[in-house]
Amino acid sequence: MAGITLDHYLAVAAILFTLGVFGIFLNRKNVIVIMMAIELMLLAVNLNLVAFSAYLGDLVGQVFTMFVLTVAAAEAAIGLAIVVIFFRNRGTIAVEDISQLKG
Amino acid sequence: MTLDLVPVLPELLVVAAAVAVLMWGVFVQRDTTRDGFVIAIVAMVAAIVALGAIGGDRRLAFDGLFVLDRFAVFTKIMILLAAIFTASMSVDFLEREKIGRFEYPALVLFATLGMMLMVSSNSFLSLYLGLELQSLSLYVLAAYHRDSTRAVEAGLKYFVLGALASGLLLYGISLVYGFAGTTAFGPLAQLLGSGGATAKIGVIIGLVFVMAGLAFKISAVPFHMWTPDVYEGAPTPVTAFFSSAPKVAAMALFMRVLEGPFVHLFVEWRQVVVALSIASMVVGSFAAISQSNIKRLMAYSAIGHVGFALVGLAAGGAIGVQAVLVYLSIYLVMVVGTFAVILSMRRKGAMVERLDDLAGLGKTSPMLAFVMGVLMFSMAGIPPMAGFWGKFYVFMAAVQRGLWPLAIIGVLTSVVAAFYYLRIVKIMYFDEPVDGLDRVLGRPVALVMAVATVGVLALTFIPGPLLAGAKTAAMALFPAAG
Amino acid sequence: MIETFIFYMYATILVASAVMVISARNPVHSVLFLILCFFNAAGLFVLLGAEFLAMVLVVVYVGAVAVLFLFVVMMLDINLARAREGMMAYLPTGAVVGLVLLAELVVVFSNWGFAPHIAAEVQAPMAAYAHLTNTDALGHLLYTRYVYLFQISGLLLLVAMVGTILLTLRRRPGVRKQTIADQVARSSRSVEVRKVPTGGGV
Repeated sequence: MAGITLDHYLAVAAILFTLGVFGIFLNRKNVIVIMMAIELMLLAVNLNLVAFSAYLGDLVGQVFTMFVLTVAAAEAAIGLAIVVIFFRNRGTIAVEDISQLKG
Repeated sequence: MTLDLVPVLPELLVVAAAVAVLMWGVFVQRDTTRDGFVIAIVAMVAAIVALGAIGGDRRLAFDGLFVLDRFAVFTKIMILLAAIFTASMSVDFLEREKIGRFEYPALVLFATLGMMLMVSSNSFLSLYLGLELQSLSLYVLAAYHRDSTRAVEAGLKYFVLGALASGLLLYGISLVYGFAGTTAFGPLAQLLGSGGATAKIGVIIGLVFVMAGLAFKISAVPFHMWTPDVYEGAPTPVTAFFSSAPKVAAMALFMRVLEGPFVHLFVEWRQVVVALSIASMVVGSFAAISQSNIKRLMAYSAIGHVGFALVGLAAGGAIGVQAVLVYLSIYLVMVVGTFAVILSMRRKGAMVERLDDLAGLGKTSPMLAFVMGVLMFSMAGIPPMAGFWGKFYVFMAAVQRGLWPLAIIGVLTSVVAAFYYLRIVKIMYFDEPVDGLDRVLGRPVALVMAVATVGVLALTFIPGPLLAGAKTAAMALFPAAG
Repeated sequence: MIETFIFYMYATILVASAVMVISARNPVHSVLFLILCFFNAAGLFVLLGAEFLAMVLVVVYVGAVAVLFLFVVMMLDINLARAREGMMAYLPTGAVVGLVLLAELVVVFSNWGFAPHIAAEVQAPMAAYAHLTNTDALGHLLYTRYVYLFQISGLLLLVAMVGTILLTLRRRPGVRKQTIADQVARSSRSVEVRKVPTGGGV
């Protein structure tokens, strides 16, 4: 891989991770977008792991990525289920609408 | 490769029970919530027996991903006991509120299993999966009462912040893996100890991310935002579960990670732990004063207790770990008992959870007031109660390791915290009685209350066995020191 | 040269669509950009030699997770105007947090280095699996050394399934459902064939 080094991949992953964190702050009123931002963070982690795996010549990173993907899928399912029942109760998906529980 | 399944026998029992509960619930055409709890409790008792039988020397399983040592045995017994007590308290509550579903005991079992896997993890891979198994079950449990807006809101908050914490933790793990090329704890400790001084910054940033993720799970300040809301919003038996078993598991995991692979970065992580500890103690003590809801109060109390336990971790070494284990065991007994009292706070058939509702309890139901009084004195750390000994050991550990300022802040904040615990006693005994609480105590709740009271008194007067147990457990984390 | 070009193409589209995910006005667009993100990340995975994970990312993520998101977004009637409220208010805090984080990460990676003798630490060196394809090698690890984790992830999926059913399934009374078993079990006696005279009706 001429020119492209590990650092390039790590930089992309770092930007992606930062965007994920940033997205959580930016979309305080929209839980679904927050969950997508979390998916972005996990994607960044996966990119990190796969890049390390490739440059270390070690398969464990890829095995780890497999499990991260599995967990993220399970997490998304549960999260969306909670969002659905939240919407049924409140008719909105804004986390900040919370007047009952003061944060 | 042979597969040695003996070390995971307790986990297998728990899994089998969880699956059995689910199958029984699906195939039997009636409400099986109560049966499910019976199966769950029997299995967890069996798991404790199995742990007692196989526990002992350090054994690895599954290619070193899983470790069973005395530390794991000790913490697993604590986790299982907490789960058993909180599960047995849930049955009546769920039936009265008519929200019993057979999945509840199954989810408790899965969460407990996740915690057991966490404290036995010997690699970041098994750590992550155990933690997530626990967290996913807890997210569902928090939102379990799906028609209650508060519960669902609590579940949603917990989920979003929990998923964020998992993300941070994972990013940290990926950095550590990238630097060291391994996810196993043993080799990692060796590598970091061998003075791989170059480029350590990557590992340190990774460590910070890992600690942030774990600090969320133990609800240490500044990662505590979810705690009061979840404690208040979730159904009370779920709150009782949240404040007991997962706290122990996450704390144990914190110790295993910091004193295991990162033991040679002690200087680096100690500063972070000290900061977390001070912040938690201060917030836990001061923010609790203005609370009027007892579940919210217990949330801040839990934050404060985590801060005190972290004092022991900041001290580090076998002494520190021993102190934390002692502290957690005592905390567990107290918190389970307190929630048994909260669960029996009912008036005209409905749950009440304001502090004022306790007014005059000393006259209307003296036994309940006595139990709560003993627990509050112990929580406050008034000598010679058990809670005092818990605090004593963590502060002594801190002093022995030269952390004078931390110990002093700890003593000061525990004085502040004593104020609001004693205020509850004052409300119960000196305020004008409001209508008495319903005098129906479910048998399991009464039993848990009795066990907790006897437990607190026993730990007050004969702390010896606990200290000895915690010591051998703590030594297991430091094989080299013998 | 061509690889460099492909890397930059994937990386740029990945980052750009990630920006769109968090800033798009309509959540449906966010999901679509998320799908684009997954495709481009899969491209990067292929460049790194992790073909199997690339395929998993496309099949599982685009095929299942993103569609699940899309399903929920479309099922819920989200008030778009309200969902965007306050975005500007959070922008400064978010930007500060993001920039600090990014700066820290840049510092980390600009002095990135591996631990010494790292080759000795590696647990599953690829060289040992050089004769296998990527999928084969992963399978060998997953079903032998990491079977423990494989089992736990099975439990995780079970919890996710039980949890989502517990939370969202509602049995509504009065809903007519098709019971295929009953239909199949109908005997011929339940059907009556009559001769109907033309124009007479039954």
